[in-house]
Amino acid sequence: MSEKRVKKAAVAISAVAALAAESEAAGVDAVADLIAKVRDKDDKVRAKALLSAGKIGAPAVKPLAAVMSDEDFEVARAARRGLWKIVRYVGRPGAAREKRPVVPELLGLLGENQPAAVRREVVWMLSEIGGGRCVGPVAALLSNKELREDARMVLQRLPGKRSLAALKRALKAVPQEFKINIAQSLRARGVEVPGLPCQKLVPTRKTSLKPAG
Amino acid sequence: MSKQSKMNRRQFLASVGAAISAPYIIPSGVLAAPGRPGANDRVAVALIGSGGRGTGLMNGMMRSKIGDQADCAAVCDVDEKRLARAATYQAKWSKKTVTPYRDYRYVLQRKDIDAVVIATPDHWHAVQTVHAAECGKHIYVEKPACCTIEEGQAMAAAGRKNKVAIQVGSQGRSQPEAYLLHRYLVNGNIGHISKVWCFHYNSPADNNPVPDSDPPPELDWDMWLGPLRWRPYNRKYLPGTFRWVLESGGGQIRDRGAHVMSCAMWWMGADGTGPVTIEATGTSPTKGLWDAAVTMHVTYTFKNPDWVLIWDQHTGNAPPAEERKKGEARIVRPGYGAVYHGTKGTFTHWGGDGGTWAERKVREWAPPAGAKDVYKSPGHMEDWFKGIKTGAKTVMNIDAAVGVANLCVLGNLSFILGRKLRWDQAKKEIVGDAEARRLMSRPQRHPYHL
Repeated sequence: MSEKRVKKAAVAISAVAALAAESEAAGVDAVADLIAKVRDKDDKVRAKALLSAGKIGAPAVKPLAAVMSDEDFEVARAARRGLWKIVRYVGRPGAAREKRPVVPELLGLLGENQPAAVRREVVWMLSEIGGGRCVGPVAALLSNKELREDARMVLQRLPGKRSLAALKRALKAVPQEFKINIAQSLRARGVEVPGLPCQKLVPTRKTSLKPAG
Repeated sequence: MSKQSKMNRRQFLASVGAAISAPYIIPSGVLAAPGRPGANDRVAVALIGSGGRGTGLMNGMMRSKIGDQADCAAVCDVDEKRLARAATYQAKWSKKTVTPYRDYRYVLQRKDIDAVVIATPDHWHAVQTVHAAECGKHIYVEKPACCTIEEGQAMAAAGRKNKVAIQVGSQGRSQPEAYLLHRYLVNGNIGHISKVWCFHYNSPADNNPVPDSDPPPELDWDMWLGPLRWRPYNRKYLPGTFRWVLESGGGQIRDRGAHVMSCAMWWMGADGTGPVTIEATGTSPTKGLWDAAVTMHVTYTFKNPDWVLIWDQHTGNAPPAEERKKGEARIVRPGYGAVYHGTKGTFTHWGGDGGTWAERKVREWAPPAGAKDVYKSPGHMEDWFKGIKTGAKTVMNIDAAVGVANLCVLGNLSFILGRKLRWDQAKKEIVGDAEARRLMSRPQRHPYHL
């Protein structure tokens, strides 16, 4: 490479780096601005802020998730809706590059360090935009009594062989009382499950009220 | 209370201010078929979901021409207080003992029950309809039929397979003035119609949000949620207000769109067809539990024939001025209806549900000799009973109702996702949008599934 070309390349690299730094700074500013507005006491300010959440994307995922546990339930609700805005925005056709960094951010919120309410919401977000790499972390929730039904439904929705295989594995691994739930998902995916008859028409909830008339 | 001391039907009707109507005639040749009561048989009906709407439907049934052919055999509700009230209330007119149930599946197990009226929140409609059909019950289910594309397909398939009469509660099709409007339209009075503009006022916002809490002791919250994913109780979900939550109701586009767009699809001869594109815009509530669009504009584009259906929910376009009929009650909801735009003019109707009002020129139009006539429903409940007893297709049959509900579902999906959707009516699926396609179905909680 000639010296002239090296100089040109160096200029280009520093320009890209400067742009990246600027963009990162802008991104940080945008996230901080979004979070500040989502925490605002005025519902109109919160609602307006949510409109920009989709475009901010991945950097806003964890900060918004943190606000989902805010003691002001309306602020927490706004944060949750902001997170959904991101999911729906990056799930649009042709937005694979924007979706790619969002999915691992969401997966990072499935851990036990997060409140159950956050994990439950996030697993449903993954049901809409998640792919094969989500199957393992979602299937891991099947061992959590509080979240396993949501995880089971999300595995049912996640397309592809990996989620189906996870459900088949789960049928063997989950406790006896939950096998019937897994069987329901397998049937919905077109798999026959002998020995675990469908329970949908079996009544279970009794009333103590007496007939009238 | 002994049967002798019970209020008879006439006394009961008088007590609720209803008029006694003439007997409904079924052809004498109609005999009972397996699973189908004969012309002179009484139909044992169970009410599933005994809130205001369910009670209203049962009142409507007993006041109607088929009131003398029906008994209420059971009521079902997940709210014990409401259930107790409903059992006592229905027992006043029914010749049968009314058994209360919390779990509708006990109703479905009873061989002596012929039919069910389902008036539960929207998220239960499909599951309960499919289960009832599988148990051989005839079904009247409130609109909109389904919450997802998959649910609609399952409902239609269950109806076909089990040969039960299903009537969906878009009762605008059975209104006297709906008949006049339909007849006026098919006789070409406004020419080729290229646009139907449905207008409606906004969905309400929850301006006094409350935090989640424990459910009241009389409510089985788990059963209320049914197929929906679990979430904590919040008193803003019910009663009735489930309508303003996207997952359980879906806002005005579903609550009233399922009426006014039902009329449009029928009168346009578009049952069985569907749009090729759906594009929605709108505004969300700024606070509270309810998340259905407050204002909304949806454009449905149909091809072959080409026409456009618009759902316009309070986006600033003024609804047509209200017409009042001489000596008659004023239009109950003048901010709701549709304007049909044809090559030779327009016509307007207000309402589209149990109250459907036609523009004066339509009411006054006298059909010339040789004019086309259209089906005149004897009444929505009566039409359902005709389906039960004769096997005739109901005016708001499940296939037509699913087609209308799909419009509502797709409009909301486009709004939620913030983008235009493309629809393949032949395959009944969204095309070219993987995320939207996932939302054509919604996994359901065990054991409340299709």
